[in-house]
Amino acid sequence: MTLARYVVRRLLQAIPTLFILLIFMFILVRVLPGDPARLIAGLEATEEDVERIRVLLGLDRPIHEQFINYMLDILRGDLGTSIKFETPVIQEILIRFPRTLELAIVAELISIAIAIPLGIISALRPFTKTGALATIGSLLGSSMPIYWLGLILIYVFSVNMRLLPSFGYGTPAHIVLPAFTLATLLMGNLVRITRASVLDALESNYIVTAKAKGLSERLIIYRHALKNALIPIITISGLQLGALLGGAILTESVFAWPGIGLLLLDSIYSRDYPLIQGIIIFYAVILILINLIVDIAYAFVDPRVRISLWRPE
Amino acid sequence: MTILEVRNLKVYYYLYNGVVKAVDDVSFTVEEGEILGIAGESGSGKSTLAHSILGLVKPPGKIVGGEIIFQGRDLTKLSEEDLRRLRGREISMVFQDPNTYLNPIMKVGYQVAEVYEAHQNIDMDKILDRVAKLFKRVRMTDPEKRVGSYPHELSGGMKQRALISMAVALKPKLIILDEPTSALDVTIQLEIIDLLREMRDELNASMIFISHDLELLSELTDKLMIMYAGRVVEYGYTKDVFKDAKHPYTEALINSIKYIRKGLLPTIEGEPPSLINPPKGCRFHPRCPRRFELCDRVEPKPISIAGRIVSCHLYGEEYGEGG
Ligand SMILES: Nc1ncnc2c1ncn2[C@@H]1O[C@H](COP(=O)(O)OP(=O)(O)OP(=O)(O)O)[C@@H](O)[C@H]1O
Ligand SMILES: [Mg+2]
Repeated sequence: MTLARYVVRRLLQAIPTLFILLIFMFILVRVLPGDPARLIAGLEATEEDVERIRVLLGLDRPIHEQFINYMLDILRGDLGTSIKFETPVIQEILIRFPRTLELAIVAELISIAIAIPLGIISALRPFTKTGALATIGSLLGSSMPIYWLGLILIYVFSVNMRLLPSFGYGTPAHIVLPAFTLATLLMGNLVRITRASVLDALESNYIVTAKAKGLSERLIIYRHALKNALIPIITISGLQLGALLGGAILTESVFAWPGIGLLLLDSIYSRDYPLIQGIIIFYAVILILINLIVDIAYAFVDPRVRISLWRPE
Repeated sequence: MTILEVRNLKVYYYLYNGVVKAVDDVSFTVEEGEILGIAGESGSGKSTLAHSILGLVKPPGKIVGGEIIFQGRDLTKLSEEDLRRLRGREISMVFQDPNTYLNPIMKVGYQVAEVYEAHQNIDMDKILDRVAKLFKRVRMTDPEKRVGSYPHELSGGMKQRALISMAVALKPKLIILDEPTSALDVTIQLEIIDLLREMRDELNASMIFISHDLELLSELTDKLMIMYAGRVVEYGYTKDVFKDAKHPYTEALINSIKYIRKGLLPTIEGEPPSLINPPKGCRFHPRCPRRFELCDRVEPKPISIAGRIVSCHLYGEEYGEGG
């Protein structure tokens, strides 16, 4: 099987998951307290206004008809119209998502650049001060709540030192604090996973073989141990992207970063059901794609996976 | 000429609940072109002994005493870099389980090529040619293609051939084989043994061959060393040992071959002893059919009898038939 066929198969496999999610969203919006039509129409609306909106939204039709229309709309890529912004939901998402992606990617890069070397150092020198510091630092980092860390960073770098803007979007300086805050969420885990998988690789029998053939310590570590250790690290980094998108919601609200997380919070406060629904469906699709990308990256490092994924069983 | 002389070697593992004396006061020699067999129950310290020769014992294991003299140099005193230069070039090793001793994400040919890389200055293209020749030499099927294969694409026997090719590549003086065939099918085992014999003749290398298979050892080896709980109980020419085993443990091991032939699991009554708190006196005494009053009090000293070394009170001065 080729890579292309594998990708197609994986996407087909995702359809049932998405279908269940769509049904769930459909039901959720209809069982939540409050009549959506009345909510949309507002407090001062007359009974006729509400009725007009109900017809407009198709809420007067029989339930099965509503469901079919709902599914057809989504298949067409139409996620409805935002109540608050009165623009198509998809348009709103497409404006906001690249900013979240930007934040997430910078955060992921920061956490990789800091955590993986720290994890490797603490694995290679477990009994030195550097190793101990890396371990303690990673514990502190991962147990710090985002709100708290964000506020401290704002206090130190924006209020006191006046080095960086505390909120907003635009210049490269704006991304530093939120990305760093979000990165610490991942770093602790990544340090520990890196450390554990490097230690695990170093304990493996093929390392004994490498030593027995007279290979230098440096080559043993780089060529054999670290490359094997990369396999679990990639998986975890990928899984973390999901957590990252979740953490982005909090981070964006602390730093007023106008991404999709802030949009979701906004839409929840204003009960903008089409928008909430659209964002959640969008998130689900993104997570499915991330998992697929992680699996493919994984297969590039590990030939065994490559075979089990792309060749028929 | 003596290639390797091990004197009073002690290798201990330092664990929380005590010190495991895995190799405790072991001495032997290996002559040029000779095959020394080592046998003994699981946990008797065979692998630890083999690994310690190349300085490969993993922490918390440590060589705590004795000497390993290889060509006039004591390996226990060498620097890490000097040891590295020896490994794979002068002394090489083949391990038990070809599945875990090969790096799963690196092509087999490159893994073998690394032996050349570690000790010689030649460029990679030439090395791969040499690896292909080497693969042919150890009778891998399709040697040119195998160079580019990953371990999971090879059968167990092929993997072990790759590891053997790695061990013979630089024509070492001594090859240590730690149960090289026990993870393989019987027919493959025989092929591998034939290959090893051939290699020994071709390279005139000495070998240390560790195995549970006494029958195999009786055919393959020149000398035999029987270990029990970290100690040598009997050590001499293989023929002599099989003809007339002196130590009751050796006797029991040889008797168990009959069971293996019948397809039964060879067992010696009783439990293998703890290596943290080994039995007082002779370590084998709780399981020994011929123990007597002295055995649980006094540790027997190795003595020379009938052209070999035996550690057993039956032959001591204090009591006994021989001496
Ligand atoms: N890494 C380790 N840490 C702690 N103890 C160990 C370690 N490796 C071996 N030992 C202990 O040392 C003793 C000797 O083990 P060793 O592997 O040398 O035996 P062996 O004779 O090779 O056994 P087998 O026939 O099963 O391969 C055993 O009691 C074992 O539990
Ligand atoms: Mg062993």
